[in-house]
Amino acid sequence: MKLAIFDIENWREIGATLARNKTRTLLTAFGIFWGTAMLAMLLGGSQGLEGIMRRQFAGFATNTGGAFTGTTSIAYRGFNKGMTVQLDDRDVANIRRTVPHIAMSTPVNSRSVTAVNGSHSKSTRTIGVESDYFRMMEPIVDEGRLINESDVSRARKVAVIGRNLASELFPGESPVGQYVSLNGVFMRIIGVVAQKSDVSIAGRIDESFIIPVTTGQRAFNEGNRYGFFIYTAEDGHTPAELQKGIRRAVSLNHPIHPADESAISFMDVSEMFETINNLFIGLAILAFFVGMGSLMAGVIGVGNIMWIIVKERTREIGIRRAIGARPVDIVVQILSESVLLTLVAGTSGVVFATIVLAAADKITSVPGFGAPGFEISFWLAVVIVATFFVLGSAAGTVPALKSMKIKPIEAMREK
Amino acid sequence: MIKLRKVNKTYPGIVPLHVLKNIDLDIARGELVAIMGASGSGKSTLLNILGILDNYDSGDYHLDGVLVKDLNENRAAELRNRMIGFVFQSFNLIGYKNALENVALPLFYQGVSRRKRNAMAMEQLERMGLADRAHHLPGEMSGGQKQRVAIARALVTHPSIILADEPTGALDSHTSQEVMQVFRDLNAEGMTTVIVTHDPGVGAATNRIIRISDGMITNSDEKNA
Repeated sequence: MKLAIFDIENWREIGATLARNKTRTLLTAFGIFWGTAMLAMLLGGSQGLEGIMRRQFAGFATNTGGAFTGTTSIAYRGFNKGMTVQLDDRDVANIRRTVPHIAMSTPVNSRSVTAVNGSHSKSTRTIGVESDYFRMMEPIVDEGRLINESDVSRARKVAVIGRNLASELFPGESPVGQYVSLNGVFMRIIGVVAQKSDVSIAGRIDESFIIPVTTGQRAFNEGNRYGFFIYTAEDGHTPAELQKGIRRAVSLNHPIHPADESAISFMDVSEMFETINNLFIGLAILAFFVGMGSLMAGVIGVGNIMWIIVKERTREIGIRRAIGARPVDIVVQILSESVLLTLVAGTSGVVFATIVLAAADKITSVPGFGAPGFEISFWLAVVIVATFFVLGSAAGTVPALKSMKIKPIEAMREK
Repeated sequence: MIKLRKVNKTYPGIVPLHVLKNIDLDIARGELVAIMGASGSGKSTLLNILGILDNYDSGDYHLDGVLVKDLNENRAAELRNRMIGFVFQSFNLIGYKNALENVALPLFYQGVSRRKRNAMAMEQLERMGLADRAHHLPGEMSGGQKQRVAIARALVTHPSIILADEPTGALDSHTSQEVMQVFRDLNAEGMTTVIVTHDPGVGAATNRIIRISDGMITNSDEKNA
């Protein structure tokens, strides 16, 4: 005797049994369908949300730190408290000379200016930076070029204009190569940029002019002063590690008490980033457990329905056994039902989840940034269906084994 | 065809029930035999043992030269499938399968191809005069028709013996006579048939009556019918 599983009749029979109780089959199938769909959607969804969040940081170096000066709050070296600490060339030079493990850095000066191009005028700001700035906060370059080292060292009167600002001051034309008056100082526009990341330091690039910091110092009478200093740590170091050294370097030049927290303060983007990272690890774990929960519910549903089917068909199984079905024939029949059910419903669940995720991906994708990644990998989909397949079959095993023990005489006696 | 020697069967329990006591029984090829007895006499147990649906404790049972003793489930299923055709009181047809599918089912478990088993099943239905009912469900047939479908199912594997358990118990007297005529016709063609019944009318329609009482065969009348 051959195994019934290879016989088309067996599959017809399974189809017939499942079709006989349409509502029940449908509800059970829906349990599995929903279980797989939920699991897949949760896993893909948490990945997509993470993608959206990461997109906010796109182009922004996540190990960026900043040093900001304020007023002293503790009297020191004969100076009263309340002294304003102002960063200058010497401080920046001292930091760069004495603090190890700084990868990139730039002092920043931000200033409000009135920008004029012919009849168009606009209140805006300049952000004075060195060329490293664009490596720490990578913008989208629409046109032209960015500020380079030679622009900074020669204090060239050049400016990079933000995308929104460009469309207001230079409507319908390309600003590159044109001159703009910033507080009466004419500067040549060399590039148009837009901000990639949602995170910015010293204001959104889209609404600003970026100029060499040295140019700003000369043009706007800032002397050798800077507003603040931003930097990134080398790989394997955190911005926070460097804070002590920077503090010491700045203190060389200013009467800052070692315990004075308000004279110099720090910002650490990597800590924010770490918090968000943890949030998403938590979300992924949550998604996993909730998904597993719905998966288990589906599997238990299958086991339950198989149990009922065996109970309900005890007599029929008895008849089959009497006319020559081996126990294995019965087990194969019962198991193939649960296997078929889980396989079909599970696969459609994953397909459904994939469609939903693809839709979410499409809706949330933004030109220039790409899609956030609402998706599950092919292998994850295979693993989900396979898990369901194995668990569904396992759930069908207990009732199937029970069916194997059915004695024909006792089963047929049941009316 | 059937040879029982000192077969004993006890149902275990707090008070063990010794239902078959040293049964010796011989049924020759081509016989039409009734096993009769009151309820609780052990006749159903005897039929179950003859049908390899139940095992016995001691003794020997040879069916068509094969010793049927301590078989595993698979071997028992195979022997049932190939050697025995069952007919039950309550027909025991599968309700969602039509007559043809019901009759073909034993062949399915033999691994016979679909086309071939349907042809064989159709042949048996024709023999029972039910060719026009082949695609009806059991629920759409009368009791007598259902029992003839069951007989067709019993015959489809060309078994050594037909075992019928109260085959007329659920039928009216007219239909009972029809069904008994079917058994008689089959017997005339050489089919060994054993019918368990408590209906004297059914017993009278057989060639030999084996009476069982309190787990023992009390007499075994040979008569001409």
